[in-house]
Amino acid sequence: MQTFIISKVLLLVSFIMGVFLNAQITVSGSVNFKNKGVKDVSVTLKDTYDGTTTDANGNFSFETSEKGNHVLLFSNPKFAEVEKNIVIADENIKINADMKEQISEIDAVVISAGSIEASDRKRATTLLTPIDIYTTAGANGQVTSALETLPGVQKIGETEGLFVRGGTGDETKFFMDGNLVNNFFGNSIPGVKSMDRLNTSLFKGNVFSSGGYSAVYGQALSSVLVLESIDFPEKNSVDLGFSPIFVNAGFQNVNGEKTKSFGISAGYSNIGLMTKVIKFNNNFTKAPEGLGTNFNFRLKNKAGGILKYYGSFDTNRIGLQTESLEPDTDFDNTSLQGKNTFHNLAFKQKFGKYLLNLGSSYTYNSNFINLSNTFQNREINPNSIDIKSNYFNTKAVLERKINKISAIRGGLEYNQANENTDVAVTDAPYKFKDQITSIFAESDLGFSNNLSAKVGLRSEYSSAVHEWNLAPRFAMAYRLSKNWTSSLAYGIFYQNPENKFFGAAPLDYQKSEHYILQVQKSEEGRSLRLEVFYKNYTDLIKTKVLDYRPLAINNTGEGFAKGVEVFWRDKKSIPDIDYWVSYSYLDSKRNFQNYDQSLFPNFAAKHTLSVVAKKFVVSWKTGFNLSYTYASGRPYYNFVTDDGGNYHLATEGRLKDFSALNFSLNYLPNLGKKDAKSFMVLVLAINNILGQKNIYGYNFSTDGLRNRAVLPSVNTFIFVGAFINFGIDRTEDAINSNL
Amino acid sequence: MKKLFVTALLLIAVSTFAQTPFEKAMTEKMAKLDQSKTPEDFTALSNDFARIGDKEKTQWLPYYYAAHASIEKGRNLMRTGKVAELDAVAAEAQTNLDKAAELSEDNAEILILQKMIHGLKMMVDPQARFMSEGMLGADALAKAEKLDPENPRISLLKAEDTYYTPEQFGGSKTKGLELFQKSLDQFKTYTPKSPLYPNWGKGEAEYFLANKP
Repeated sequence: MQTFIISKVLLLVSFIMGVFLNAQITVSGSVNFKNKGVKDVSVTLKDTYDGTTTDANGNFSFETSEKGNHVLLFSNPKFAEVEKNIVIADENIKINADMKEQISEIDAVVISAGSIEASDRKRATTLLTPIDIYTTAGANGQVTSALETLPGVQKIGETEGLFVRGGTGDETKFFMDGNLVNNFFGNSIPGVKSMDRLNTSLFKGNVFSSGGYSAVYGQALSSVLVLESIDFPEKNSVDLGFSPIFVNAGFQNVNGEKTKSFGISAGYSNIGLMTKVIKFNNNFTKAPEGLGTNFNFRLKNKAGGILKYYGSFDTNRIGLQTESLEPDTDFDNTSLQGKNTFHNLAFKQKFGKYLLNLGSSYTYNSNFINLSNTFQNREINPNSIDIKSNYFNTKAVLERKINKISAIRGGLEYNQANENTDVAVTDAPYKFKDQITSIFAESDLGFSNNLSAKVGLRSEYSSAVHEWNLAPRFAMAYRLSKNWTSSLAYGIFYQNPENKFFGAAPLDYQKSEHYILQVQKSEEGRSLRLEVFYKNYTDLIKTKVLDYRPLAINNTGEGFAKGVEVFWRDKKSIPDIDYWVSYSYLDSKRNFQNYDQSLFPNFAAKHTLSVVAKKFVVSWKTGFNLSYTYASGRPYYNFVTDDGGNYHLATEGRLKDFSALNFSLNYLPNLGKKDAKSFMVLVLAINNILGQKNIYGYNFSTDGLRNRAVLPSVNTFIFVGAFINFGIDRTEDAINSNL
Repeated sequence: MKKLFVTALLLIAVSTFAQTPFEKAMTEKMAKLDQSKTPEDFTALSNDFARIGDKEKTQWLPYYYAAHASIEKGRNLMRTGKVAELDAVAAEAQTNLDKAAELSEDNAEILILQKMIHGLKMMVDPQARFMSEGMLGADALAKAEKLDPENPRISLLKAEDTYYTPEQFGGSKTKGLELFQKSLDQFKTYTPKSPLYPNWGKGEAEYFLANKP
């Protein structure tokens, strides 16, 4: 009896199972993208649990007991969803689907021709982060010096400025939160290179463009450096820094919700003590001394808009005596008193699909230079130059997102410059005024994840030039394969002649055209960039000595620069060592300013090589940094003027090759002390550790018969300093920067 | 006898069928979490959970597990050095976790996964991302701890962080192991609210304790 029941039950079970089996319909097929099978696509019978995921060949198969009209959904984050209507009856279903590309910010190819992004926010391909700047030997913690280790930037020691791809230092402009920063470098006198005025720690990221930059920026023939300040500090903190050459102190306050913060800092620097310890090539009558203070506040409104203010005031003094090259004088004396105040206000807010950026900056700069000669212990030929300048800049940019990777932006910019130069021995002060109004529009067009373009147009009117210009810009990027991308950029760039050259004749805009082609390979921990460029200069100014000073007489100057650049950064191949190598080859000729013929510019080297290496030894809590720079000898020229003020090349030559090996060491004694109240970094830095005797050029006597080498202020410089931060435990920051 | 047998059969049937299709599907897929080995396995599993979530619409657990499967895929890729792919994986996980969070607010388990997503994103570029992702991850874990202080998975994540942090930076294997032990102790007393609730991590704590250096 029992067996009977069991057999019946079994029969029943098998019958039921059989019914179920019969009810199961197999849905199968393949999913393709551009005729190739796609794996990892989720195939779902909508509103049921049934479905599967495609295999490596794009094939799928699943069973369902559903019946009737249904929708089959194919989804994968990399593609747009595809839906297919199916009717499930008694027979198995075979169905194929073709995916369409989903455009996404993460996968979209980035245009990188001419620009090097150094930022903490975006992607892993970032080439130079703020921490890199601090840990680059020889950079002294300055953004611009660290950039000199990248391709395209010349190593120029005698004067400040970024000399990019055969351009002069004046051809690079600096921006903070979108606003123009005038007098980016401290005030100085010829032969003494001054430092960046803005502190590296103010910025969370920067974009350095060595050419082909966006239409949002203008008035730079070669390059722009766009710095973006940090939003809100992490915590309240007090910072102290001291060394034989400076002391500074500052604090930052931030509220708990990170909606309000303010900070103030002040510093004093004096090279005096060091001039007694180290042999300087300059004979300072007043060792460089500076006093500076700055303040900032940031406010966030309820809608997420951020208002940022940064303001600074600084004053500095320097005095120099050099042996005179002229027959009836013994020494030339130069001294300077500089004052500068800079204020920057920026506001950023999102309104739905729109992003609004408003900002303005104001600079007042005063340079008072005393000049005289000494002859037989008597001071003769006293003269002074008093330059006072006011600059105002304001800009509004409105951006609208179109889809995930496309956007349009447009805006207005207004710059005003007022300069007053009073030379004691001349009659009347020279006044210069200029107002530049600019309008610009730009569009980022993402055609697919593998192809994107940027088209921009900028137009400027300068009251000093009395004319509108029109500058189109174009760039595009194409992904060649998973790791390889290519991009190219073209653009026209205008820049007013330098203010000091105005006055003799009506002048036009100077113009350059950039052509850039780049291929880049980025993979885990390594990146390689190859870039070739051609830059065509036209309408450069030509100068002549009139009223004892060089003045531009026309815009007939011209020139070109072309070159090849290689950048290789590798954090992976050698364990615990992060290094990068950049090499630039440059060919350039110019006939401009006081050049009386077409010449290789004296501020450019044919070959530049830079190697930077860093290693952090965890158990010693110490970072070791090395950098080496080589530049082939630059040419030097001596132009003499005739009675008509025209220049003629009298002497020319080539400097010996430049090379310097720099070393720095960061010791973090409090590293890892979990509850340490302070965090300290001790720094030892030695620039030019091998003591290479580098020469930057020659100064000539008026008759051209005598000359003297232009030398660095100091051959080998040793810096020791301590930086202490109370309030923030940077341990984890340090760990993660060395993982 | 016959009656008894039929009743018994009926009871068995009822008890099997007492598990709703949802529970059945979930239990089946949850078992697969431990069996999955390759990134492809985890992708498929994440898709399966998301499918269940899309059908149910009110259950946070399917989306939770969908996110968890993606995170496991990320950790798998991380171990094989494919760090560059982590951004995309983290985005996948985030999409599902956001859906779970929408259905269940102030949920410690969801915050625990949130911390793990920030961890994945940080690994793409630790140096540049620590300040943002590290901080966000720590915030998420602190919030989770407030909501569910005895959750063993919170101790587990802390243990992992400490274990892999060099001694010079305040971490250590010893301190890490202490936390693994704490986590294991918590696992002994911690009971998930239902069989479908998250219950993973014990094996990992045991593994670390068993392989003491």
